[in-house]
Amino acid sequence: MGPGLSAPGPAVPKLRCVGVTKQFPGRRRQPGTVALDGIDLEVADNELVCIVGASGCGKSTLLNIVGGLEDATAGTVEVDGAPVIGPGPDRGMVFQAYSLYPWKTVAENIRFGLECAGVPRALRTERVQELLGIVGLTEFADTLPRDLSGGMRQRVAIARALAPEPDMLLLDEPFGALDAQTKQVLQDFLLTVWQRTGATILMVTHDVDEAVYLSSRVYVFSSRPGRVAEEIEVPFGAQRGPLVRRDPRFLDLRDEIQDHLRTNVR
Amino acid sequence: MSDTAVTGEPTATRTGAPGPVAARGRRQSPLLRLRGELEGRTRLWLGVAGVATLLVGWELAARALAGDSILLPTIGQTLSALQELARSGELWGDLGASLRRVGIGYAVSLALGIVIGVAMGSLASAEASLEPVFGMVRYIPASALTPLFLLWLGIDESPKLALIVVGTVFYNILMVADVARSVPTPLINASYTLGAGRLTVLRRVILPHSWPGIIDVARINLAAAWLMLVVAELLAADQGLAFRIVRAQRFRQVDRMFALLLVFGLIGVASDLALRAIKSWSSPWARA
Repeated sequence: MGPGLSAPGPAVPKLRCVGVTKQFPGRRRQPGTVALDGIDLEVADNELVCIVGASGCGKSTLLNIVGGLEDATAGTVEVDGAPVIGPGPDRGMVFQAYSLYPWKTVAENIRFGLECAGVPRALRTERVQELLGIVGLTEFADTLPRDLSGGMRQRVAIARALAPEPDMLLLDEPFGALDAQTKQVLQDFLLTVWQRTGATILMVTHDVDEAVYLSSRVYVFSSRPGRVAEEIEVPFGAQRGPLVRRDPRFLDLRDEIQDHLRTNVR
Repeated sequence: MSDTAVTGEPTATRTGAPGPVAARGRRQSPLLRLRGELEGRTRLWLGVAGVATLLVGWELAARALAGDSILLPTIGQTLSALQELARSGELWGDLGASLRRVGIGYAVSLALGIVIGVAMGSLASAEASLEPVFGMVRYIPASALTPLFLLWLGIDESPKLALIVVGTVFYNILMVADVARSVPTPLINASYTLGAGRLTVLRRVILPHSWPGIIDVARINLAAAWLMLVVAELLAADQGLAFRIVRAQRFRQVDRMFALLLVFGLIGVASDLALRAIKSWSSPWARA
């Protein structure tokens, strides 16, 4: 039961996907691959929701559709009740890798979205400073991405996505290429950012621990075609932190989701 | 001896006499290690040795062949021929004419290559419509078009420029397209979600990311421009480095021919170094 689904009035979800289907064209009269089959999904304002699934379940495709980077074959995606027809700065995205401008310094990377939005120079500088502070990279303002660690790069990518003050953050396995320690640090960092900015976050991951640790709800996808196999509420509320990882309910939920994934992978 | 007998196993299984333990693996010389790295000084010395070998080989061969008429000039003869060309002023006139032709022709070719290549590497529709055309046209040897250009454009500068453009533009287009195609998709997608329009992505993402690659393409294909220049000057010209070589051949001035070949080599080295310098100056982020 999603929050406020039955309540009338102002309960328009931030994001609503109805029957989203994606079929890639086949070759030589072969039927195409169905990547997503009738995905129904909702994310409330200021909610942090994860999608987990094995590779090939179409979860990244769904995120690209929500981001407006790909078109759905059928179904609708609405943000604040308005249909999504293309990409825009209201939905910031972070990818797993290769998405920072390698010729721009950290500060210039973060500034890019502000320049696109035509933010005045003085305000731009101020906002970049603020974001550098949030992601803890003030000293690295003039560093090129190639001189940063993987974890730092992803922090820059998140800061850059936050710069135009998007309504939603769409994260596509943002920590998938990081080592285990860095990953945990960045997960806590993401929670801080979420609480400070009040952003709505939809994140795709194949890491079940990560999904349970971060989100208030987890959508478990099945593979080929991608379908919502299960929607699981995570009962920890806003209270997160290292202790959660040792909570017996955390372990139970994790096992439950992993069972779902195993039975749904063929 | 009795000790080893008591502790037993490790030494018992080892064959051969007791003594220093055999080292594991094979030591590889840094000079012959595949993908090995050399110290800066070793690199320099190897480079010097390579050039020195060439020069010594040349000099020895020239002396061995020395006879009544020159077939292969010595280094000294070549240099004095070069000096003579410079003193008489012929060298500067020829150099200017050839540089102008390559400069103008190759600039046009590069401009076309960048515009069309980036379009092909960024727009699926441009690629789909242009790839088959250029894929076919580029297999027509540009030198085979020389008679046609002479017929169409006369024998002054324009057919020479046309030949240089046609001889290099397809390589430039297709290689620039490859460079533009290698801009990572996440980089382009992230830009859209940051509010960039298509023109902004083209100008501020695809172009700067491709820039160092484009300079490399320019550097590599410059050799083809000089090749076409020679073809053009051999056929019809009254000035130019290749024209001067043909002229020298008519008078069996082999030392002059070698001096002019040397000039080609030096121009190549200079332009190569210059373009490398431009690349590392304009795109410090792409330095190895």
